[in-house]
Amino acid sequence: MKHYFIIGFLIFSFFTSAEAQTAKEIITKADHKARGDSQIATISITIVRPKWTKNMIMKSWSEGNKYMASVILKPAKEKGIVYLMREKEIWNYMPSINRSIKLPPSMMMQSWMGTDMTNDDLIKQSSLVKDYSQGIVAEEKLTGLDVWKIELTPHENAAVVWGKILVWIDKKDYMQVKIEFYDEDDFLVNTMNATKFDVFDGRKLPAIFEYIPADKGGQKTLIEYQSLKFDKPIDKQIFSTNYMKRLR
Amino acid sequence: MNLKLVWRNIWRNRKRSIITIVSIALAVFLAIFMRSMQLGMYANMIENVVGSYTGYIQIHGKNYWEEKTLDNSLKYEKDLEGSILEINGIEAVIPRLESFSLASNDTVTKGVYINGVIPEKEKLIKPISSRIIRGELFKNNGQICIGKGVSKFFNLKIGDTLVIIGQGYHGMSAAGKFHIAGIVDMKNPTLNNMSVFMSLKALQNYLSADGIITNLIVVKEEGSDEKSLRKIIENKLHDDYEIMTWQEMLPELEQTILIDSIGGLLMVAILYMIITFGIFGTILMMTQERMYEFGVMVAIGMKKIKLMVIVLIETIMLTLLGVLLGIIAVMPISYYFHLNPYVLPGDQAVVMEKFGFESVVPFSIDYQIPLYHGLLIFAIALIITFYPLIIIAKLKPLKAMKI
Repeated sequence: MKHYFIIGFLIFSFFTSAEAQTAKEIITKADHKARGDSQIATISITIVRPKWTKNMIMKSWSEGNKYMASVILKPAKEKGIVYLMREKEIWNYMPSINRSIKLPPSMMMQSWMGTDMTNDDLIKQSSLVKDYSQGIVAEEKLTGLDVWKIELTPHENAAVVWGKILVWIDKKDYMQVKIEFYDEDDFLVNTMNATKFDVFDGRKLPAIFEYIPADKGGQKTLIEYQSLKFDKPIDKQIFSTNYMKRLR
Repeated sequence: MNLKLVWRNIWRNRKRSIITIVSIALAVFLAIFMRSMQLGMYANMIENVVGSYTGYIQIHGKNYWEEKTLDNSLKYEKDLEGSILEINGIEAVIPRLESFSLASNDTVTKGVYINGVIPEKEKLIKPISSRIIRGELFKNNGQICIGKGVSKFFNLKIGDTLVIIGQGYHGMSAAGKFHIAGIVDMKNPTLNNMSVFMSLKALQNYLSADGIITNLIVVKEEGSDEKSLRKIIENKLHDDYEIMTWQEMLPELEQTILIDSIGGLLMVAILYMIITFGIFGTILMMTQERMYEFGVMVAIGMKKIKLMVIVLIETIMLTLLGVLLGIIAVMPISYYFHLNPYVLPGDQAVVMEKFGFESVVPFSIDYQIPLYHGLLIFAIALIITFYPLIIIAKLKPLKAMKI
């Protein structure tokens, strides 16, 4: 009798872990597909507000999910502003004052460059795999694509701000089609919609991401990838703070 | 004839008359002294904050006062300026751009309030250069003037550099390095601790906000009423703007003044009550003393009405002398303190500065104060005169002479 119980438990745990494995695999695969080992991108960011809109063009280099450097190309007034992410740190270089600063923890929850994303969002993207446990909750159709709906719940000790994240990943191409961010009280905070699927450097990926805060009417941020190249060798010094002044 | 009689009557009992005159003079003196000080202090507070800085009327973009962001700013256009200058009683308009930013030097950082101004226009209310205690006015877009509190906080001297970082117009990032050209004293500790001045163009450039201002200060002609002007401007502009008087922008200042003023008036009222009884006492005494005399006068055929007029003129004269004496005594003192403001001592000064006011009290020399209080005492004396008048009216000569 006791043996049956143990065997039953083993089978049960095998199945649950097997399922978790697949959800985790899906996330990992989707994440790696979107990111590659390294990535060089030209991105257009449009901030939409009820009274005005603003467009920025930015070039970014990234390696894995630990290192990323980006420089603003447009508008002319902000040209040369550099953001450098090294592991958990963000550095910011302002050409107009010729100074680079490390963003203090208190600024992590503030808006990044006036967009609807926080500084924290930029570095925490990487931890979807590490800081959360994943589970497939449904398989459905979204904008004509067959998708998995995956729920991510943070590990107990993980230093994350979200209470829950829902991710929709398309089954064929492993694209993140939609993400919903919830707070600890299960209220929707942000929604990210991906549209206009395109082929970049041989990978099919969404070209436009729409970032919509739930509680602010008429506000959103559009992120459009103009070019995207994967797995090109990137000079290590690009990710050093000394190089920020010269990045362009 | 009557006047001669009155004059003689007054000086028949010198001591009594002098006591009456002096007590009235003292009351007038104290009341005027106190009100001059208070009203002078209020005028100074208003002048410090409103007259030379905030302005009596301001025009903003809709909702700016509630939520002071650049999104609620307004475009500074010739049309707008023209349509306001057309109004009678308005002398000029002064455009300003104000924004909050972080200033940083070495390892210290502090929030500052940046004022973008056109120095030539500011001259209309109070030239920025008159506030400068060290250095000089900014000359180009790379120079700024800072409040003395800011300079102390950062330990900055003329010629040093201050880095300012903030959020610009429509999501632009704003950052700049500025050289310190001068240090200003705003005569207000709160303002001193957060004010940074630069030219309007420099701030528009820093914030990427071309042609944008946040406040349009309306300079009224002397004597025109801000509340009625506000109505006229409101009717002229459409709904995209908000028009505010200083009372609306700084209700706490008006309320502080009101509460303090009521306290002062209460003191004056108590003073007047004491004086009223003082005057009444003398007149009562005088009436009783002169009962026999009144009886004789009426008995030998003087008309009661004539006697009443004489008594009335006597009181008027006594009061007039007292009031004039009081005013003459207080004027030089008020005037002296008007020119050489009284500096509050120790603790009181600290309290005043905590509330953001200057700790000096220049006395008011507004002619309305002596006029108002002189007339008030005069009126009190007249009311009291009714007592001898009634006595005379009811006077029976026989009874009056029987003592």
